[in-house]
Amino acid sequence: MPQASEIAWLIPVLPLIGAVMSGLGLISINKKINNAREIVSISLISFVGVSAVISYKALLEQVNGYQSVEKLFVWASAGDFTIPMGFILDPLGSVMLALVTTITLLVMIYSHGYMAHDKGYVRFFTYLALFSSSMMGLIISPNLLEIYVFWELVGMCSYLLVGFWYDRDGAAHAAQKAFVVNRVGDFGLLLGILGLFWATNSFDFSEIALGISKSISENTLPIWAALILCFLVFLGPMAKSAQFPLHVWLPDAMEGPTPISALIHAATMVAAGIFLVARLQPLYSLFPEIQFIIALVGTITCFLGASIALTQMDLKKGLAYSTVSQLGYMMLAMGCGAPIAGIFHLITHACFKAMLFLGSGSVIHAMEEVVGHQPVLAQDMRLMGGLRKKMPYTSATFLIGCVAISGIPPLAGFWSKDEILGNAFISFPVFWLVGLLTAGMTAFYMFRLYFLTFEGDFRGDNKELQKELLVASQISLDEENEEEHGDHNHGSLHESPWSMTFPLVFLAVPSVIIGFMGLPWDSKFANLLDPEEAEIASQAFELKEFLPLAIASIFVAAIGITIAYQAYFARKLNLSILFAEKFPAINKFLSKKWYLDDINEKLFVKGSRKLAKEVLEVDSKVVDGVVNLTGLVTLGSGEGLKYFETGRAQFYALIVFGGVILLVAIFGFQSPSVT
Amino acid sequence: MSINFFTHFANQTIGTLGAGFSNFPWLSASILFPIGSAFVIPFFPDKGEGKEVRWFALYIALITFLITVGSYITGFDINNENVQLKESLNWLPNLGLTWTVGADGISMPLILLTSFITALAVLAAWPVKFKPKLFFFLILIMDGGQIAVFAVQDMLLFFLTWELELIPVYLLLAIWGGKNRQYAATKFIIYTAGSSIFILLAGLAMGFYGTGIPNFEFSHLASQDFSQKFQILCYVGLLIAFGVKLPIVPLHTWLPDAHGEATAPVHMLLAGILLKMGGYALLRFNAQLLPLAHAQFAPLLIVLGVVNIIYAALTSFAQRNLKRKIAYSSISHMGFVLIGIGSFSSLGTSGAMLQMISHGLIGASLFFLVGATYDRTKTLKLDEMSGVGQKMRIMFALWTACSLASLALPGMSGFVSELMVFTGFVTDEVYTLPFRIVMASLAAIGVILTPIYLLSMLREIFFGKENPKLTEERKLVDAEPREVYIIACLLLPIIGIGLYPRLVTESYLASINNLVDRDLNAVKSAVKTNIFSGNKKNEIFTAPKI
Repeated sequence: MPQASEIAWLIPVLPLIGAVMSGLGLISINKKINNAREIVSISLISFVGVSAVISYKALLEQVNGYQSVEKLFVWASAGDFTIPMGFILDPLGSVMLALVTTITLLVMIYSHGYMAHDKGYVRFFTYLALFSSSMMGLIISPNLLEIYVFWELVGMCSYLLVGFWYDRDGAAHAAQKAFVVNRVGDFGLLLGILGLFWATNSFDFSEIALGISKSISENTLPIWAALILCFLVFLGPMAKSAQFPLHVWLPDAMEGPTPISALIHAATMVAAGIFLVARLQPLYSLFPEIQFIIALVGTITCFLGASIALTQMDLKKGLAYSTVSQLGYMMLAMGCGAPIAGIFHLITHACFKAMLFLGSGSVIHAMEEVVGHQPVLAQDMRLMGGLRKKMPYTSATFLIGCVAISGIPPLAGFWSKDEILGNAFISFPVFWLVGLLTAGMTAFYMFRLYFLTFEGDFRGDNKELQKELLVASQISLDEENEEEHGDHNHGSLHESPWSMTFPLVFLAVPSVIIGFMGLPWDSKFANLLDPEEAEIASQAFELKEFLPLAIASIFVAAIGITIAYQAYFARKLNLSILFAEKFPAINKFLSKKWYLDDINEKLFVKGSRKLAKEVLEVDSKVVDGVVNLTGLVTLGSGEGLKYFETGRAQFYALIVFGGVILLVAIFGFQSPSVT
Repeated sequence: MSINFFTHFANQTIGTLGAGFSNFPWLSASILFPIGSAFVIPFFPDKGEGKEVRWFALYIALITFLITVGSYITGFDINNENVQLKESLNWLPNLGLTWTVGADGISMPLILLTSFITALAVLAAWPVKFKPKLFFFLILIMDGGQIAVFAVQDMLLFFLTWELELIPVYLLLAIWGGKNRQYAATKFIIYTAGSSIFILLAGLAMGFYGTGIPNFEFSHLASQDFSQKFQILCYVGLLIAFGVKLPIVPLHTWLPDAHGEATAPVHMLLAGILLKMGGYALLRFNAQLLPLAHAQFAPLLIVLGVVNIIYAALTSFAQRNLKRKIAYSSISHMGFVLIGIGSFSSLGTSGAMLQMISHGLIGASLFFLVGATYDRTKTLKLDEMSGVGQKMRIMFALWTACSLASLALPGMSGFVSELMVFTGFVTDEVYTLPFRIVMASLAAIGVILTPIYLLSMLREIFFGKENPKLTEERKLVDAEPREVYIIACLLLPIIGIGLYPRLVTESYLASINNLVDRDLNAVKSAVKTNIFSGNKKNEIFTAPKI
């Protein structure tokens, strides 16, 4: 077998082949392929499986200290320009590949159970394969341009998958919103890439950094220009990784099927922004100003996500805002110049957040049996409760996820989050404080989710509450719809099939133990990504510096959990009296999601509609009006002219003649006409 | 003269049979074959349904496509920047009119595009039941006429073919169009014919420049040293003429009307090929023959390009009529062609060229889909459609694919061409940095606006709950194999170019490099306006010595 790094290009190509084949099948032999759904899903899973095997082999090679491999070919050229494309496999890439292929595989297995009764089963698997192919392509991209290509492609897959149930209005809007908001970021990314190319004549990550630092030191490029370019590029990750204020699309994107929320909107695609910032570290580390902006944006996002998650009643939305918050942590790490810590948190977070989302899918799957296929009901925690007894696997893994994300040692989240906070403490103490506070909030809202969903008594049979919720969300179930799901209404809660619980149990393992890969005194993870840095870090490690910070964050998390326990399990605290009624403004501010969606709707959506309408008015009234007016005038004058002219030919001739005379008159005198 | 003319081709053809394909008059054949065959159609026995006629037209269009492919394979060397496959024959020597056809890198891809799209348009015209004989007759005439526009190498002949092509389009619009077809057709003919007077004027002026005996051949005109003022005058006239065709805002208002009324196959031709005539002519005449004036006007082209992109994208967003929406999106995409032509970099200019090809394919596919959807829903108003995707799943998939291509998704041709234009323009050292920054940023707003209107459109047509009114009244059948096949034929090159653009760019790169070098030399010697960087004095303002 050849060295895995040499054939790394196969990793994205294999799922692509699968996706293309089943896509063509869907268009040409739709019925047959829908009947053979298992064959399609098994073959697509095996395509991704082979990719996973290659990825793991590549990771093993990198761990054993093989050289990074980079291969390029000329993709487009004109004049002196060439645009190269190809692939690169380095430690960072191989780690990400292993992560993405693993989670994709698990999500595919999970989807087999979750989407079993869906008409679009084959289409769903096709999109999944397409997405995994694009995501892996993004990871092995050797330059900014190729990253941009796959960046857009994963965005497209996200669009297709969020809008998967296209008969739902909510899904349609969310899909479009996701794509357009991401395009706002891509607008900056594209301009930034172009600008960097102009400044350095290269798309390559390290060459760009070298070129920029050279231009700055030689004074050929003003610093403000370099800063603007860096910021423009950063807009891309801001949108993709749901950073404030471009995070608005991510919670809405939960309209997609839950496996998608786990795969794309928690574990992989939203991490692409973090990944790109990590790739661009050589460039960003040149400018402390940019580092500060990144850290600031990360901190704001981190706090914002957690604060909104406090009041969410929708299980998936709560997890979505939690994702926003955790992505903020990762971005904060990037801004503190600690990409390894950021990537490490990315990996641990991918494991436990994918597990949490898949767990929520399992819950929703069960709830749909009781309340019907109405997301407003099936995802609302006010209707849940007491599910632990019926769903042991789901509740156990969900609890592990909650402990992990809250940062309780020795689970994964503790090590990675603490490393970020430690770095923040050194670079920006204020941000550390915010991060610490957020850690407490995280512990609170996660356990709030857990207690509301799995503990207490089941509240799903409460028809009045159901009606209230429907009225509140302004959705009227038409009769047809109710009939359709009528027979489900009398179903009972039960644990999901093995295809759904297996991925949960599988992911629980790394959620518990993967943190040991990144122990601050002996980080195997850092050793792989950057051996020199790891050496320095492990030597500089001192227990008396580490312990106070660690104890502080554990303490804060413990407070959060205690409050959640008192409020939602023991029912000794009534938060709505203690807090919501005393500070109605803050409560409203949080439940209205900081009013960002409203601002967005009023300012941008309505604004652009209005502008477009006005331009159209101008177009039809003014521009076209002038034309029609001229038409009328010429009609009038033509009526007059026809008495003087007998035919069009002569009229033409006259104009031609006149024109030639005119030209001769103008130029005849200037340039001698005889050679 | 005409006897001479035809014996020439007869001799050529007979000669070919003996000597293989090396001196077969490929281009003349690709022009005259469809036109000649069209005249057979009136003698077909008429059964009303037009079944025989459409098969005949399809065969002719396919053979024409094969002829153009043959010319590309056997007679075209991509490394040669000059005009190849040249055939020259004095037609009316007294007028200086010669039948000169040939193809360089700028013509050849467009010739191929024309015959390709026309063949698909004939297939798309399968359901045409009203006067099929006349319809296919006109389509075939148009096929030859449009190939001629791209192939002729003589300015007077160019003018003739440019005008000739108007007649079939006018008739196709006026007879088979929608409710407002008369208005649209008249507007179209007045706009185009009126503006083409400028082509004639400029052509005559250039042909007569400096000599007593007119000579309109491009090669002759290219070797002329026109004075700067003369160039500017010609340039303005030609810009108006081609600006109507491309179209450039504010000369565009014929297009939404014409496109809004045309039937699907005509629509494909209008968007796929007719708009490209404007871009081609701008490259051929304004950029190639009038470099001094181009050096002055290029910044204007860029500004106009940016206006096109934003203005048309906004109007498209507000449009509630599907056809007009797509029509405006065409205008928006043509903005990139303008920016590419205005940039003095071979990357940008070849991006413009690629954008023409790419939009030819994407525009044709979208307009075909509009027609196919209209056949089912019988309405173009977005307000009356909703949730159509549940009945027409394959149609939905095709729409999504083509819309994504149109919003320049990577992996499809539109992305490559826009990227090339952007990169070429941004790295273009001829313009000052602030100008480039402002223009590139504004043009990049199109990156945000395009998905807004295209995805909104998809959402309103296919997503959401079914509109019961529509589903009860109309039979919404899914796409039939013929329709899937047409879109597949269009998507194949779209994706092919997107994955590996050199498939196409290599074929015209030599000619574009040549053209850009010429323009760059002109810029270097021209007066630097504010927008151009530096402020070197030039020597051109003194009258040229001939």
